[in-house]
Amino acid sequence: MSTPLTLTPGRDPSGAVVLTAVGEIDMSNSASFAAALTDTQRDAGGQFTVDLTAVEYIDSAGLAALFPHVDHLRLLSNQLLAPVLTIAGLDDITTFPEAS
Amino acid sequence: MGGVGPAAGAEVFATGGDVGRDLMAVAWEETPLGPPGQWPQSLRTAVSILLSSRFPMWMAWGPQLTFFCNAAYRDDTLGSKYPWALGRPAGEVWREIWDDIGPRILSVLDTGNATWDQGLLLFLERSGYREETYHTFSYSPLRDDDGALVGMLCVVSEDTVQVIGERRMATLRDLGSDPTVIRTEDQVLAFAGAQLDRNRHDLPFTLTYMFDEGGPRLAASTGIAADHPASDPAWWPTEAAARGESTVVDLEGDFPYGDWHEPATQALLVPLLQPGGIPYGFMVAGLNRFRALDDGYRGFVELVAGHVAAGIGSARSYQAQQRRAEELAELDSAKTVFFSNISHEFRTPLTLIMGPVEELRGRPDLADDGVRAELDVIHRNGLRLGKLVNTLLDFSRIEAGRMQAQFSPLDLAATTTELASVFRSAIERAELTFEVDCPPLPQPVYLDRGMWEKVVLNLLSNALKFTFTGGVRIAVRAEAGAAVVTVTDTGVGVPAAELPQLFERFHRIENTRSRSNEGSGIGLALVKELVELHGGTITAASEPGRGTTFTIRLRFGAEHLPPESVTTQGAGAAVSSAVDPYVEEALRWLPGAPEEPVPERTGHPATVLVADDNADMRDYLTRLLRSAGHHVQAVPDGQAALEAARLRNPDLIVSDVMMPRLDGLQLVAALRADSRTAGTPVLLLSARAGQEASIEGLEAGADDYLVKPFSSAELLARVRANVELSRLRNHHARWRTALIDSLQEAFFVCDEDGAVIEINSTFTDVIGYGPEGLPYAPIHPWWPDQESDPEGFQQVTEAFSLLIEATQGTYTIPVKHRDGHRLWVAASFNQVEDPDTGRRVIVGTFRDVTAEHYAVQRESAVARLSVRLSQAESVPGALTAVLPALKELWQANRVIATVFNGGADPTVYTTEGPAPWDGLSENRRHALTVLRDEPLLTPVAERAGGAGIALEHPDGAMVLWVELAEKRPFTEQDQTLLALLAGHLGQGLHRIHQIDQQRETALALQRAILGPAQLPAGFAVRYSPATRPLKVGGDWYDTVTLADGRIGIVVGDCVGHGLQAATVMGQLRSACRALLLQNTDPAQTLTALDRFASQLPGAMCATVFCGVLDPASGELTYASAGHPPAVVTHADGATDLLDQGRSRPLGVRSATARPEARYRVPVRATLLLYTDGLVERRRQPLTAGIQRAAAAVQQARSAALEDLASVVMDSMAPETGYDDDVALLLYRHPGPLEVDFPAEATRLATVRSMLRGWLARCGVDSLTAQNVLVAAGEACANAIEHGHRQLPGGLIRLRAAATAHDLHLTITDSGLWKTPQPAANPHRGRGFTLMRAMMTEVTVTTGAAGTIVGLQTRIPR
Repeated sequence: MSTPLTLTPGRDPSGAVVLTAVGEIDMSNSASFAAALTDTQRDAGGQFTVDLTAVEYIDSAGLAALFPHVDHLRLLSNQLLAPVLTIAGLDDITTFPEAS
Repeated sequence: MGGVGPAAGAEVFATGGDVGRDLMAVAWEETPLGPPGQWPQSLRTAVSILLSSRFPMWMAWGPQLTFFCNAAYRDDTLGSKYPWALGRPAGEVWREIWDDIGPRILSVLDTGNATWDQGLLLFLERSGYREETYHTFSYSPLRDDDGALVGMLCVVSEDTVQVIGERRMATLRDLGSDPTVIRTEDQVLAFAGAQLDRNRHDLPFTLTYMFDEGGPRLAASTGIAADHPASDPAWWPTEAAARGESTVVDLEGDFPYGDWHEPATQALLVPLLQPGGIPYGFMVAGLNRFRALDDGYRGFVELVAGHVAAGIGSARSYQAQQRRAEELAELDSAKTVFFSNISHEFRTPLTLIMGPVEELRGRPDLADDGVRAELDVIHRNGLRLGKLVNTLLDFSRIEAGRMQAQFSPLDLAATTTELASVFRSAIERAELTFEVDCPPLPQPVYLDRGMWEKVVLNLLSNALKFTFTGGVRIAVRAEAGAAVVTVTDTGVGVPAAELPQLFERFHRIENTRSRSNEGSGIGLALVKELVELHGGTITAASEPGRGTTFTIRLRFGAEHLPPESVTTQGAGAAVSSAVDPYVEEALRWLPGAPEEPVPERTGHPATVLVADDNADMRDYLTRLLRSAGHHVQAVPDGQAALEAARLRNPDLIVSDVMMPRLDGLQLVAALRADSRTAGTPVLLLSARAGQEASIEGLEAGADDYLVKPFSSAELLARVRANVELSRLRNHHARWRTALIDSLQEAFFVCDEDGAVIEINSTFTDVIGYGPEGLPYAPIHPWWPDQESDPEGFQQVTEAFSLLIEATQGTYTIPVKHRDGHRLWVAASFNQVEDPDTGRRVIVGTFRDVTAEHYAVQRESAVARLSVRLSQAESVPGALTAVLPALKELWQANRVIATVFNGGADPTVYTTEGPAPWDGLSENRRHALTVLRDEPLLTPVAERAGGAGIALEHPDGAMVLWVELAEKRPFTEQDQTLLALLAGHLGQGLHRIHQIDQQRETALALQRAILGPAQLPAGFAVRYSPATRPLKVGGDWYDTVTLADGRIGIVVGDCVGHGLQAATVMGQLRSACRALLLQNTDPAQTLTALDRFASQLPGAMCATVFCGVLDPASGELTYASAGHPPAVVTHADGATDLLDQGRSRPLGVRSATARPEARYRVPVRATLLLYTDGLVERRRQPLTAGIQRAAAAVQQARSAALEDLASVVMDSMAPETGYDDDVALLLYRHPGPLEVDFPAEATRLATVRSMLRGWLARCGVDSLTAQNVLVAAGEACANAIEHGHRQLPGGLIRLRAAATAHDLHLTITDSGLWKTPQPAANPHRGRGFTLMRAMMTEVTVTTGAAGTIVGLQTRIPR
């Protein structure tokens, strides 16, 4: 079975560009993730948001896909991914939900 | 277990002969040891060592100390207790001595140290009475297969006969140490009593009665009060004793105990026999109630009585003899008076003798030479007697002033010349020169011719008597108004101190060499008297060794002489008949006197040595004694007599007192000083009468004293009496000699310097040296050679110092027989004082213990070998253990064992360890190869260097080589021993080989039946069998993966351990496994197993824990058949005991169905299953052990499961190791995750999913789980990306396991990682950063086979 991942580009109520990822991101699908990010940034033409709140897993390959876009990027994350994103130094562009 | 008949295992008795059969017949199943088939190997080994030994041994084994013994012990010691004793508790067998030996045995069992007792007194009841016995023994510990002390082996030699024999011998020896031969009866009895009283063991009391005229009279007693009722002779039946017979008397009443703790109950009444007469009396000897009155005991009492009787006989003879000597002394005194008073009366009978004798001699018709010779003797001695009588008369006349001299003027020179001439022939026959220098004098000298004759003859006779070389000179001169006559000799001279007394009457110079000791001692005194009657003087000048000169001065003229005695008429010139006696006498001193043989007569011939310097007396005695039928040897002096006596000891020596060279008294002293002649009786003859003289003779040790003159009948009577007396008196000595010669032991006496001075015939028999070589001065010729046998020499040297320095002792030493062969003797010795000399001597006995010595050496060598063999677990191990023992035994340089096992090179073992075949010298290799083809078990000794032997090794022929130190010979005994040991070694190796094979079989069996080859994940097991060398036992564990994925878990314990228990266990395990697969229900499984167990011998009462576990949920269903509860230790350390679902052990009937219980194993909790060997300890409740086990798991619950298993086994093990089978099974929930997947990125999600599920089962919180997932994901990605770049499709393994507090993961690939290069692969570098950030510990191990990433993290509580 390959790693389940759904990537859906869209816009949030404020109209900002949002890429919503659902599933897991690892080396098997990091290429598609990277491609989707590139597409999304091009579509957005500037700042955009990647919604990772429904991502259960992201590894270093997935993180590597995020790095080229850090200047234009906001991340929405869940608590599960917080340690990884923090260690990767992405916490300053990431919005975590309120701790429950 | 059961179903194994007593016959099984009975082969252990096979070597035991009769005893083996009787042992086989014992109902062993009724003893704590059980049937022989169930005996542990250690017991079997011990029994077979015991039975195969010819040395007396017994052993006790097990809780009741069950008794075993071998044939030698039965024969020597057990007596009527056999075969009753076999298989009984030792305390029952030896109830009567348990107080003595029980504590010793307990001490051995307690401490494991062997005991040693030498000659211990024990009162055994084995012959129907309590018996005094002595034993030398050692108790050594016996251990069971686990090394626990379970019994003891006793090697014993019974010393009873020796100890009692020595005690009795000592008494007899003490009796024989009688310091004087002659003593009064009372002294004899007192002395004997003192000796007998020292042995109150064999003679608790004695009473000695003498038959007096008034009836029996108590003469002596020991050990009993004199006023004891039994001291009255009427108490005893004396009739038998009076007839010379012994009687046993039962004692009733209060009798002494002697040295025992109970009174004597019997006495032996023995007569004191008198040779050829009614007994002197009788002796009552109280008997030792702890010894049977056997031949030895009876003989001992009779010997004692015989000795006392001999002493009494000797004393009585002496007293008779003493009375006789006193009577003789009185007679002598009377004789002296008579003689001096009426000596002149002799002249008449003498004249009447001499006249007819002269006449007879002159008869021409006297043709019989024999008669003529007798007449000559009569004549000569008649003359001598006449001369003596005359001399005495002269004296009495002189003393009485009645000497009537007639002085007439004589030509002194002519008269002297004339007198001298008659002596010429005698002097010349003595081969001396004789110078007569008598020139005529200017005037005559007034002389009494008869008197002057006596003066000259006495002086000449004297000169001849004391001169042996040179000559005699007589000279006459005129000097200053006087005539001077000098008689000069070149004889022995007179010591200056003696000169003043030279002319004293009866003065004799002692110890002067002379031709004859005859003489009255009045010759010179008479000369002086006579010279003084002439108004002259006589002086003597002498120098010892140069000669003596007598000078007589006689004044010319007659003015100085009483006028009435002076006549001017010249006297006749003829030499008077008074001359003859002097010449005749002198001639008899000279050699060549005839000795006429007299035909011997038969009768009671004795060998008599006659010593007399007087040839006539010698001849006379010889004729007289030969006429009485004795064998006679005659010698002229004491020295010759001594030499003759030493050469051939005569029955009697008849000796004159006065003799040249060595006189009679000195002869007696010399004879007494020499042990060979100390007992030879001596009859002294002397002319010197008087009590003083006879006492002097008797004190010197003479046996009788006869004063001349004596009658022939009296002499013969004395000779006869002395020969008989000596035989009687020597009874003691002969008895002693006979006793010593009849000893089975060799006997010797040493002086204080260690020189052997007396031996008996056994001595000669044993070591070949006979009495002819006595004395044997140290170093004795039988000592081992210092060069070739330094060790033996050293032993003997040490023993010799002991002999010289200690007052008593024993030792065992090697000695060399005269013919060169080596033997061992055991000697014991005592210092005693020689009663004759007062000097210290050493009396000893020894016996040949060569056979025993080598037997003991062999036995102990075999025992040592057997022990080493029995301890060995493998054939090479056995050789490694045995070779040093052989090396030690022979003090060898090294020992080599070569096994020709068919390989390219033989396998070589040496005392220095294994060695390559090439490492041996060419010669040695050749010799070993040659030996291989020699007949088996036949020793081959090299002249120098050693010996070898071929034997069977399980792998082929083996050659054993003992490399000896140089010069050490390999004797026949050594060869026997080598053959014996090689035989045992061969058998031992074979047996070990068999056990090896058995164990291999058992191990294979165990591998097959003990447990599954592959455990499901999450389990760890341990197994420790109780029975070494076996590695299997009655316990087991099992896991069965059931069809529904659940896992059946079984831990069980069959009764017993060892191979047989293992076979039962195997079947139970298989059955349980099958039933579990079928039922999947623990209670049902156990119920079905009950039925199976009832069909399987030995399976009854096995305990089993049976559970079914769902590894996913930790749900456990379980039932226990009498098994100790499982223990669950939670991650937080809490403990649960799974003590539900309990029921009875297998096969035990019960009305109720087996219950079942359920339990859910919490996450990261550890389930411990075990058998009771893990927790059961003596004197501790089982629960204590279970708690300890639970604590051990709790302590180490953070350890990996395998480590935890080891920790539990180690921490629970007793100090001496487990003594029961132990099975241990651990499960930690959940079991570890193990995933193998191809190195493809697409697999990662699946793996992650599995890991996520497992982490959930482990109860890990989601954050930690996410961290683990990320770290593991990075490791897996690395493995895919780097590890398998060159090998796509290779497998990656992920393994994850939990402990109570930690998670451990490993990711293994089969490729080679590149060193991470973050610059080139920034995100991979980031991967590592992630791993390290997420995990507590990250390790990367890269090896040839691949790379392992280890991840570890702590689980938050």
